[in-house]
Amino acid sequence: MVMRISENMKFNALVDNMFKSQDSYNKLSEKIATLKKINRPSDDPIGMSKVLNLKESRASIEQYTRSMDSGESWLTITESKLSAVSDLLVRARELAAAQSTGTATAVTRNAEAESVQQITDEIFVLANSKYGGRYLFSGTKSEDVPFSSSGRPVAETGVPVSSQGNMFDGTVVSDGNYTGSENKTYVVKIIDSGTLGTATYQVSNDGGKADTWSAANTIPGDGKVVLGDGMNLTFTAGSKDFTTDDIFSIQAKTAGFYNGNGSELSVDIGEGTPFAYAISGEAVFTDKGQGNIDIFSTLNKLKAGLENNEPDVIASCIDDLKAGSNQIIKNVSKCGSRINRLEIAKNSMTDLDLNLAELISDTEDADISELIVKFSIRETALQASYATAAKIGNLTILDFLR
Amino acid sequence: MSSITALNIAKDALLSHQTAINLTGTNIANANTPGYTRQRPVFNTLAPGVEIGKIERIYDRFIGSQIDEQKHNLGYGEARKNELDRIEMIFNEADGGGINELLNKFWSAWEDLSANPSGQAEKQTLVSVSQSLTSLFHSYSSELLSIQDNVNTQIPFLVDQVNTYASDIADINARILQAGTNGANEPGLNSLKDQRATLLSELAEIVDFHSFEDSKDSINIFLPNGMPLVEGDKKWELDVVTENHPSDPSFYDIVFKDDSDKAVINGLMTNGSMAGFLEIRDNSVEDYLSRLDTMASSLVSTINDQHKLGYDMNQNLGKDFFDATKTKAKNIDVSAAIIADINRIAVSETVNGDGGNASRLGALKDELLMNDGHSTMNSYYASIVGQIGQDVADVNRNFDRHTNLTTQLTNKRDGISGVSIDEEMMNLIKFQTGYNAAAKLFSTTDELLDTLMNLVN
Repeated sequence: MVMRISENMKFNALVDNMFKSQDSYNKLSEKIATLKKINRPSDDPIGMSKVLNLKESRASIEQYTRSMDSGESWLTITESKLSAVSDLLVRARELAAAQSTGTATAVTRNAEAESVQQITDEIFVLANSKYGGRYLFSGTKSEDVPFSSSGRPVAETGVPVSSQGNMFDGTVVSDGNYTGSENKTYVVKIIDSGTLGTATYQVSNDGGKADTWSAANTIPGDGKVVLGDGMNLTFTAGSKDFTTDDIFSIQAKTAGFYNGNGSELSVDIGEGTPFAYAISGEAVFTDKGQGNIDIFSTLNKLKAGLENNEPDVIASCIDDLKAGSNQIIKNVSKCGSRINRLEIAKNSMTDLDLNLAELISDTEDADISELIVKFSIRETALQASYATAAKIGNLTILDFLR
Repeated sequence: MSSITALNIAKDALLSHQTAINLTGTNIANANTPGYTRQRPVFNTLAPGVEIGKIERIYDRFIGSQIDEQKHNLGYGEARKNELDRIEMIFNEADGGGINELLNKFWSAWEDLSANPSGQAEKQTLVSVSQSLTSLFHSYSSELLSIQDNVNTQIPFLVDQVNTYASDIADINARILQAGTNGANEPGLNSLKDQRATLLSELAEIVDFHSFEDSKDSINIFLPNGMPLVEGDKKWELDVVTENHPSDPSFYDIVFKDDSDKAVINGLMTNGSMAGFLEIRDNSVEDYLSRLDTMASSLVSTINDQHKLGYDMNQNLGKDFFDATKTKAKNIDVSAAIIADINRIAVSETVNGDGGNASRLGALKDELLMNDGHSTMNSYYASIVGQIGQDVADVNRNFDRHTNLTTQLTNKRDGISGVSIDEEMMNLIKFQTGYNAAAKLFSTTDELLDTLMNLVN
């Protein structure tokens, strides 16, 4: 059946074709300008979702890499400080070996006592090194000076601290003798507000970490709270009562020279992957926790032996100093192996990042050569539609009637 | 058979062909009139002689209603397409700088802080980034709300248009009824019918309806559930009411003007641009808004919960990081206490300032916090963007399809009802020949009569 063609149909068809050509032309122009296939979510909804997730992964990788870099710097500095300590200990050992023999005299020994003091002082300086405003060897108490040269002859319970934001304004004192084997931080947290005899509390023996709280107890009427390990806190009421979330903390230290704790600072280097980058001074310089030899007390013992002209004492220090050297070297290689691990992790992150970048590009980038070819085809089509419109639009039977 | 008869035959032929030529002239003159249906003279033989029995309007009423059907779809699609395109621009992450990028910076800021727990710069960065993030939530939310508002203000205008069209159609129905049964011969009525068809088409873009032409040539219009809009010369008007809508008292609902119960008839609109706008306002935007709100409230509660487990630089337990009273996308905010004193940020896991809590907060990005424990926050957001992209792609695809269908149907109708200059020219020649022949008949008969008269002399 032959179809009638009206004037409207003719012109509408021509205009429609022109618009269709122009539309494709414009869409291609946009892709060429941005060099992307996906310029808005509707261009490829699934692709856009994918790209967003990939970009998030890359941002994560960038963050982890940054954390790894900062951990690596910390470890590198630690390593160099510890190497210096190791060298000093070697000198101390040679010194002890020399002065324990028969060739040494009271005079030489006395003189060398001074050298030992200098070695000790230098090791103190190294042990109290800082990096980026934080102490290298303080464990997680990176704001506190790790080692004090005077030391503590017996265990010490520090002064209790009532946190700045507490509502309770009474006093709190500590008493008792700390019997623990490592430096610890005890924390008391108020659960239910109240007064002496009514408020309830929990105790943590690890700085107040969320999973270290004891069962809840009521503060006794006399205000005496038993913390454990031989320590007690005694509260005296003030004008304001205990309020929920009031925090009281106290630092408990063993005898010795170390003020920090045995925990290691850590940072995330991957999903669910915390990485300990700080080596605590406890493990390196003391005989508590992971450590075996207290370096400073050994050095002091050596100095006393030299001053008092006691060859047996001096001789006994040699083995201790050897053990101390080994302790330091063990921790130096610990730094080394941690740095290695970071390098490996960083390399695999870099590889992963490259892959992700490629995936993102595959999904969202346009192939410029393919686009240019399509573009010239479209351009030709557009020209053709213009030419057709010009020609056909004018043709009617009126041109042929007399 | 007298010669007078021949004269009459000639006269009839001349007049009929003259009328036919006039009709051809009308068609040619209206070749570009939108909605014009061509007219055709129907010659009836009188034996002897001829007359124009009727002036036929060439149209196919079935195609007319098919086109109206498609117009419902077009109206619906276009309304939704325009608004969804705007919504897509809000969520366009193709160039970055959206919530996805800022969320990444947020998690990253916590991790940086964990590596340097006492760092003032890191704390300041964290607060800045958090505020930028909440700002972005505000702006997305308010843009969505403004689109909703915009759409809402269109509703009364559309209702007015519907009323105007319905009223005009009823008027034309009335005039056609008045003209009675010999209306078939009135070219004036044909042009009224053309007008009415155009009005019907315009109305079809706004609301969906069923329509039919009854025996008296009236067009009757019914809403999909059978309620009448126009019946003969009677019309029913629509109206808007406010203070009724569950989501927002300023939203308009549609009712019949003379319904004393003011029963809401929004649900009757299933197609056409009115329905499209209602869908955008009440479904699409509400859905996107609620997902954004879910994200905001989840962010506030999970971050706050973890934050309150940690300690700040002054050995205090952490308080809220985000203001816990503001849990919607339009008002989420960093807590004023934190902004005033960044040292209240609970960086540490213990009272010793270790940065462990910041680490945990940064690690929340990998926790499956959304979708009942199936998605992370970032992937939940990515799925919102994907959903919007899909909705826009769908509406565009449907709109293109309906546009093509409409074009095809319109072409078909034009094929039947449109004017072809070529054809009219041929008709002109045809009728002119007929006229010439009739004129020749007249002059021949005249000569015959003359001869007859002269015979008597």
